Amino acid sequence: MKKYALLPFNFTQIDGKDVLINELGDMIIAEEGTAQKIVNRTLNDEELYKTLVAKFFISEQLLPPLIDIYAARLRMKKGFMDDKTALHIFVLTLRCNQNCTYCQATSREENAAKCSMSIDDMVNAVKLMFKSPSKHLTMEFQGGEPSLEYELIKTGITKAEEINVAEKRKITYVLCTNCRNLSDELLQLCLKYNVQISTSLDGPDFIHNQNRGKADSYQKTIAGIAKARKILGNDAVAALMTTSELSLNYPKEIVDEYIKQGFNGMFLRALNPYGLASENENWQKYNDRFIAFYKTALDYIIELNKHGTFFREEYATIILRKILTPYTTGFVDLQSPAGIVNSVLIYNYDGYVYASDESRMLAEKGNFTFRLGKISDKYEDIVSGKKVRKISEIWSNEVLAGCSNCVVRVYCGADPVRNHSTQGDMYGFRPTSFFCKKIRQ
Amino acid sequence: MTITVDRKIYSDKCISNAIYWLSEKYIIERKLDGDIETISVNDDNGENFRTEFLRRLNDFKLREIIETETKDIKTILYAKAFGDFEE
Repeated sequence: MKKYALLPFNFTQIDGKDVLINELGDMIIAEEGTAQKIVNRTLNDEELYKTLVAKFFISEQLLPPLIDIYAARLRMKKGFMDDKTALHIFVLTLRCNQNCTYCQATSREENAAKCSMSIDDMVNAVKLMFKSPSKHLTMEFQGGEPSLEYELIKTGITKAEEINVAEKRKITYVLCTNCRNLSDELLQLCLKYNVQISTSLDGPDFIHNQNRGKADSYQKTIAGIAKARKILGNDAVAALMTTSELSLNYPKEIVDEYIKQGFNGMFLRALNPYGLASENENWQKYNDRFIAFYKTALDYIIELNKHGTFFREEYATIILRKILTPYTTGFVDLQSPAGIVNSVLIYNYDGYVYASDESRMLAEKGNFTFRLGKISDKYEDIVSGKKVRKISEIWSNEVLAGCSNCVVRVYCGADPVRNHSTQGDMYGFRPTSFFCKKIRQ
Repeated sequence: MTITVDRKIYSDKCISNAIYWLSEKYIIERKLDGDIETISVNDDNGENFRTEFLRRLNDFKLREIIETETKDIKTILYAKAFGDFEE
């Protein structure tokens, strides 16, 4: 072998093999002891040597001749930073027409008062959104159940369209709804402005109804999905599920339900430690069972694909995209610097701006750590204020203990909000972090 | 049980990194006398700790060598990727 210089890479052992991952996320699986041989310069495998050079693990010159390509690829991996704050979530109300057992948004009764956004705040929030330098803006309506607030949705969209005549941004609208209350009027608005529907389907009727706390929930959701598809088209409706403790027993049945309903993918989503879900008594047990549930469901999906049914698990798709392609994903939960503020801002019904969806959920529990300012404040004061500057010291996993030298760092992200919520401080402690365990397993 | 580690071979950073990941399961005490560090674990099943600790210690030693050798190229790489970039 020629004399060579090392390039930044990390390694671990899995099932008797060395797994090597470089700064770009390129992965090589080799026999155990390979990392040691590379460092000790005792490699004796010519093909492996060539692969290591080609994939930027080692360089035959001190400065790699393709350093510019190397740097361009690194920049591409962090491409989400160029997008700036693109996702803007408008929490219209806490009012809801369901009674989900694990509600993460701390919803209230359908006729509850004083828990919806004012029209003035909606207009000001839209103006604030346009202060973001992002060329692409996603305006997402959430709740509670946002479809109960038709006038707010209409006001938000029409104001955005009005401002955008001059701004000329690319705007995507998303309505997160349980589909119980999709009126003709609302769907016509969605059709006019190409609003995408994101709904929740937890699985077969007995799971969905139990999770959602109403006997007719499944029936109404399926009917709502059909109605939305009829008016907006099949591709305009996406669904995601939340894995309750009941769901953990039925991984295959849940996948089958999604296929039955004509979806070609699903996101196997764990409960998050916010809202009512935070009152779950035994998180450790739930977390361990969720990992087993996920593996069973993913194995089943892979088998379905092998037998000719095209079906995608979205979380696995995101991770594989990070491993197998040079591109970024835009998935805010796995970003470094973190997705909060950098990629997402929340305009809450209470007239305040929060760092992330989870941040406003914490606020419902009386924790205002991630409240960044009022909707009426200046954008610069919100995104560059004292609070955000403080959070920014720990929102990159490149500088966190346990993350900076973790082999999967390049696929993972930093999440100060989750750390704060689950471990009591924003910095976090990786050895006891469920999020960390989930990523590493 | 106790393990002694020669600091001339394994740095403080190396030992700290290895201990960090084991601190979930064990209560670990560190004492330094000259170049020799003594690591004590309050656990009946000390052999498990020894095995896990030594494996991690050697892995972090290897990572430390990689980090030291690649520090400069990493700085150049990040400067080229993110410095002086025009929109």
